[in-house]
Order: sequence, then C-alpha cells, then structure tokens
Amino acid sequence: MNRNHTQVALIGLTLLALSQSAGAMHISEGILTPQWAGLWYLLVLPLVAWGLRDLRIKSAREPFFKPMVGLIGAAVFVISCMPVPVPSAGTCSHPCGTGMAAIFIGPALTVLVSSIALLLQALFLSHGGLTTLGANVMSMGVVGALVGYGTFRFGRRLGLAGWLAAFMAGVLSDWATYATTAFELASALHGDESFWRLFGGIGLSFLPTQLPLGIFEGVMAAGVYQFIAARRPSLLVCLGVERAAKGGAE
Amino acid sequence: MSLLSELFSDLFASRDNVMTRLDPRVKVVAALALLVGVVFATSPVLPLALFVGCAVVAGAGGVPIRFIGMRLAGPLAIAGMLLLLQGLLTGTTPLWSFAPFGMRITITAEGWRTGVVMASRVLGGTGVMLLLSAVTPAHRIFLALRSMGVSKGWVEIAMLMYRYIFVLLDLTADVASAQRLRLGYSSVRRGMSSAGVVAGVVVLRAVDQAVRTNEAMRVRGYRGEIPTGVMRPLTLRDWLLMTAVVVAMGAAHILTEWNT
Repeated sequence: MNRNHTQVALIGLTLLALSQSAGAMHISEGILTPQWAGLWYLLVLPLVAWGLRDLRIKSAREPFFKPMVGLIGAAVFVISCMPVPVPSAGTCSHPCGTGMAAIFIGPALTVLVSSIALLLQALFLSHGGLTTLGANVMSMGVVGALVGYGTFRFGRRLGLAGWLAAFMAGVLSDWATYATTAFELASALHGDESFWRLFGGIGLSFLPTQLPLGIFEGVMAAGVYQFIAARRPSLLVCLGVERAAKGGAE
Repeated sequence: MSLLSELFSDLFASRDNVMTRLDPRVKVVAALALLVGVVFATSPVLPLALFVGCAVVAGAGGVPIRFIGMRLAGPLAIAGMLLLLQGLLTGTTPLWSFAPFGMRITITAEGWRTGVVMASRVLGGTGVMLLLSAVTPAHRIFLALRSMGVSKGWVEIAMLMYRYIFVLLDLTADVASAQRLRLGYSSVRRGMSSAGVVAGVVVLRAVDQAVRTNEAMRVRGYRGEIPTGVMRPLTLRDWLLMTAVVVAMGAAHILTEWNT
C-alpha cells in the first residue's frame, strides 16, 4: 500500500469513528474560510427568500398554513434527531429528514424550515454553526430538498407507488446531501493539494455510514408516507402530495 | 430523548445573572463580532482564547460542566479529525513519521500547522455559540434577529418550531418507549418498521397540533400575522458595550495576527 492509500484509508477510518458523535452532515463552526462561508450564504439567500415568498402567498390565502409549516418543520426536526442504528459502523447516526419534508411541504418551504432547524441545531446542539449555516443549508435544505422532491414527483409521474417514490426520494436526498457536504468540505480545505483526492477521501469516509443510512432514510420516508396514506389519506391531498381521487375527496 | 430535550432547552438562559440581563441584541452583535474574529484568524491564539473564555464564562453563569462537555464533545471530535486530515493529506515537510503494521504514516509540518488553526477555529466558534445560547433564551435571540432586520415570516416560523419541538420530542419518546416494550427494536428490520411508524405518528400529531394551535390563535385574533413583540430602544450603555466588544475584538485580532 503506498503512502496515499494508507493515509486515505486511515483518514476514512478516523472520520468514520469520529463522525458518529459529531453530526457528520453538518459542517462545523469555523471550518470554512470567510470567502467560502460568504459564497454559500450568497447562494442560499435567494432560495430562502423563495421559501419566504411561498410562505407569504400561501398563508395570505389560508392563515392555517403558517402554523402548519411551523409544526411540520418541528416534526421534521424531531425526526432528524431520532437515533438510527447503522449496522456497518456499529453505532447510531441521524436521518436528514429534508427529502421527507420536501414531499410534504415542497422544496421552497423546506429550504426555509431547514435554515431555521440548522440555526437551532447550531445554537443549542453545537451541530453546524452560524458561519457555516449557508453551506449546511445548501447541502441539506437545498440539494436534499430538491433531489427528494424531484425524485418523488418523477417517480409518481412514472407510475411508481407512492411509498416506493417516497423511498427513492429519501435514499437519493440523503446521498445527495452527503455528496454536497463532501464537495463543500473538499472545496474549502484542499488548499494546494488535489481537490479530487480530498473529495474522494471525505466521500470514502462517509460511505460506510451513509450507504445504509440513506437506505434507512428511504425506509423511513416510505413508512411515513404509508402510515399517513393508511390513516389519513385526506392529508396527502390537503398538502398537495397526491391528487384527490375521482368521484370525491377521500 | 430526555438528554436531547435537556441539551436543547434554554433552561440555563432563564437564570438571573449579569450575562442573562444583557440586551439580546448586544449579545448577538457581540457573538457576531467574535465569530468574525474566529473565522479570520490565521493563528490559533485568539480562537483558543475565546474557546476557553466562553466556556469559563458559561460555567461561571451556572451552566453545569457536564452540559458544557456534552455540547463540546462533537466539535472536539471534529477538531481532532481536522488535525489528522490536514496533517496527513497536505504539506510536504515531514514532522512525525511512524510505521504501524508496516504502513508508513507521515504527519507534515505544514499540514499540522493548518490543522491546528482550523481545529482552534472550530473550538472558538463553537464556544461563542455555546455562550450565546447559554445566556440568551431562544425567543429573545429570535426577537433580536427580528429587530436586526430578519424577515418576520422567518421569525414567526422559528418561534413556532422552537415552541413545539419539545411537545413532539415528548410524544416521540412516549411512542418509542411503548414500541421498545413491545420489542419493536429487537432487530434492524423491526427497528426500521417501528421508526417509520414513530415518524408517521409525529407528522400526523404535528398536523393535529397545527389545527389546534391555529384555532387557539384565531380566538386570540390571529389573522395570518403572529405578533413577535417589540423591543425597547437600545440604551447608551448597550451601544457602548457593543462598540467595546467590536473594538476589543479588532484589537485582539491585530495583536494575535501581528507576527503571522
């Protein structure tokens, strides 16, 4: 094994061991340089504004909408804090929850809710940070939400069952979130070294936990969809997740 | 989940002491100034000093050491990870070299230096956030953000979310305990199924709670705008404090970066 391979393997094992307790989906406070932190903020701010516009329009039509977004945001936050066993690592990790949120409230409001959830986590759990909020919102709130929402809608258009489309959305949104986090970290940290070498090292370290965790996130999204479809199908219609059945509302 | 509730609550911020009595806008501006100092640091001195200082002030303000330790465990792990990552992957000048199990591992001097600075920035930044949240209740932070120009819609949703996270955390803990008693987590497969049900219950309960909250708010006159409150004007003392922190931060930055 040459020097590069040994060191990448060592880093992979180290990250695997450390990332479990460190909330690996969040880039920690202080890691990004001011330029990178500012760039991610600039990219994310218009998307948060998009979420706020969506909120304003929908809550002007129906005042109930605002409490509902707040409560669903709280629910997604709680779900994202649920410990998930990762068999390949022998420890627990946490789902992102943004793919699931995007299915229920759409990508624009998911960006908004994610920005709040990530600020709360940075303040009270020391997961993520204020200077890295833009980067974290980009990976979890924007990429995770858009991939999750797009996959679900595309799956339904292809005629997949709702639970299967939700499963795919959960899996792909989780993996997309981690790929973006690896990209953000490698962009900021590679210095004079090869970007791809560091990107590969970080991506490799995420693999043992994120492959099974992504599948778990898919199972969870499918479980939530199935549970609501069985217990209260009218809610899916009310939230615009599904169209009303012909011949009257369910 | 009870641990999470404890970590997440702003219980310690409700105590009465010098730090909690300060205007939240002063604390938010001070925290921002300290964070700017941290991210612009190219020497570990200032971030590490802030880390120690913030942890000591939080401890002096009555936050238990155990709580501070739990909050800092994750960032400490990340700081260690950054040291290794930079030391092993960047730079060319060997600093330490060893060969466990026949594998040559070299820590470089340049990488180690960069890693120390990054790790110190992680700890310094986290310390500042820890102190801010330990001495300021969440709703006061949101009010401060609102008065500093953050969108009303964002603040309203943030307040609703923070208020109801605890209700839903309790519900999740109850349902998960009931499932555990019925061996719902006895295997990975059953655990996945049970977790899906908990998540579904949480979403449904959240919607039910939203209906009740909406009705309660409408009775109190809610027509689509949640009142977030008005803050008193900043006093001369508040302005002086904010200016002092910003100036002190600038001076500390110049002093610690002088040689680098």
